[in-house]
Amino acid sequence: MIARRPWWNRYTGLRNRGMNPQGFHVSQLKFYVVLIPLSVLMLLPVVYIISSAFKPPDELFAFPPRLLVTNPTLDNFRDLFSRLSTSGVPITRYLFNSIMITAITVAASILVSSTAAYALSKKRFRLKQALFAINTVALMFVPVAVTIPRFLVIENLNLLDSFLVHILPVLALPVGVFLLKQFVDGIPDEVIEAAQIDGASDWRLYWRIIMPMIKPAIATIAILTFQAAWNNAEISTLYINTESQRTLAFYLTTLTSATTTANAVAGQGIAAAAALIMFLPNLIIFIVLQRQVMSTMSRSGLK
Amino acid sequence: MTTVRKPARREVSLATRESLYGYGFILLWVIGFCVFTALPLAQTFLYSLNTVSVTATSINLDFVEWANYSRALFTDPNFIELLIGFSVETLVSVPIVLIFAMIVAMFLNLKFRFKGLFRVIFFLPIVITSGPVIRELTEQGAASAPGIANNPAVIAFLEELPRALRSPVEYLLTSFVLILWFSGVQIMIYLAGLQKIDRSVYDAAAIDGASGWETFWKIVLPSLSTVTVVNAIYTIIILSHFSENKVIRYIYDQTYNVQGGIGYASAMSFIYFGVMVVILAVICFALLRWARRSSR
Repeated sequence: MIARRPWWNRYTGLRNRGMNPQGFHVSQLKFYVVLIPLSVLMLLPVVYIISSAFKPPDELFAFPPRLLVTNPTLDNFRDLFSRLSTSGVPITRYLFNSIMITAITVAASILVSSTAAYALSKKRFRLKQALFAINTVALMFVPVAVTIPRFLVIENLNLLDSFLVHILPVLALPVGVFLLKQFVDGIPDEVIEAAQIDGASDWRLYWRIIMPMIKPAIATIAILTFQAAWNNAEISTLYINTESQRTLAFYLTTLTSATTTANAVAGQGIAAAAALIMFLPNLIIFIVLQRQVMSTMSRSGLK
Repeated sequence: MTTVRKPARREVSLATRESLYGYGFILLWVIGFCVFTALPLAQTFLYSLNTVSVTATSINLDFVEWANYSRALFTDPNFIELLIGFSVETLVSVPIVLIFAMIVAMFLNLKFRFKGLFRVIFFLPIVITSGPVIRELTEQGAASAPGIANNPAVIAFLEELPRALRSPVEYLLTSFVLILWFSGVQIMIYLAGLQKIDRSVYDAAAIDGASGWETFWKIVLPSLSTVTVVNAIYTIIILSHFSENKVIRYIYDQTYNVQGGIGYASAMSFIYFGVMVVILAVICFALLRWARRSSR
């Protein structure tokens, strides 16, 4: 893009409106005037979730709720950890389950969605249009409504109480195929034809050409799938009976739910602390993967 | 004759091979989809035509034809109201998300310092709206701004408006922040779309003396038309799936309610599904027509 021109005539275009100076310039102030307030809005939830976890009870119940904590305390975490030590299954077990399940789910669902997206976008076969339409429309079905039939399917497949039940139902992340297909569509056919002429097999084409070119979308899907898997307490509730097969998300909800808490006030604090603990991995994954999204977006083959 | 037929039998034709590979690549997904989505969906449709009672050992079906549907549509006092409210909210939210995402993406596509940081920040809602964070926030009332709706000036303003406009505008004012949080991925998609526009097109437009305003309407917007359709579909899907969605909440409550039951909840799900598909179809149809016209 810009870097292709030498620096001395980089900004001497015919009608350079002063939009692209190299460093900071007073004319850029207008961008910051718009963007900074909006980005504060975007950051608000993160600030809120972090500060809530450190709020003492009186601040948690203050009305109207305040965003920032005034007297930070670690009591919420202390309460949470004192609960942890009293349960039968060690917390490391839940943690291990969650990490394994999340890792496998993310990897497998990227594989499934990206192969499907590749086929839907670049292959020619009869049911293509119909399959994509079905996928898009089926995305909108209320997930709650299929809970019971899905339970029956899982029961019939003998998957109840198994490790696989954590992974298989969430593999087809609704938006995965949809989003990836749009990005594969953006790859010009010439690139694929060139690779085919050079003798690349279909699999190689997919792995070496398609995948690197849709990295931003893959990273996005990875973030979304990670969250769906990591925060999933539902599967542990519905399909798992053995305590040691359940996930951290499930465990933390049992700790914070009203039935197990002696007093509701302490429960709120523990819930806030648990929410922060559950949220942090999401944030870390986001920070790790956003570089993939941003950097490849600015100079990838998506042109 | 045999010599001619022989290679034809051994080598499958190119088109067949192509489609075989196509099916091969999509196979995993199709199996997963059939087992965990299509099959349960069919089952749910069956439930929606029955009164379902669950006992410890079995599920009993009692065929009632369309009674569940007519109950949801004509008897239930809440469902239709919630459904209409949600449809209006969707129709308001989608354009807002699209316009907001497009404006922010165009800002982020410019060159200025800390651009990278801002891009990250505007992408951040992706970890907020799909995680447990948003539940916490909506429970605390942080996602809406009730203060705005209680402001006397705003109340006076709302009363000035015609009745049909009032609730969408009020929704817009109170949930503006929430709507913006839904635009993380859309901003990214728009950015990718903007980066596909070749710089030389801008240069050519500048040489022809086009102003920035004209460049936007004649170059940027038409180039983003297909991306806009994608974003619109994505937004509708995300909104319809949102766990704090009132209609979904209601259906969930009814599923385990003595008076409701699985059959009734299934029927409501299908009605909701139908409405969402119609909304999707309407918005897509309008946008696609516009996209086709502007790309010409």
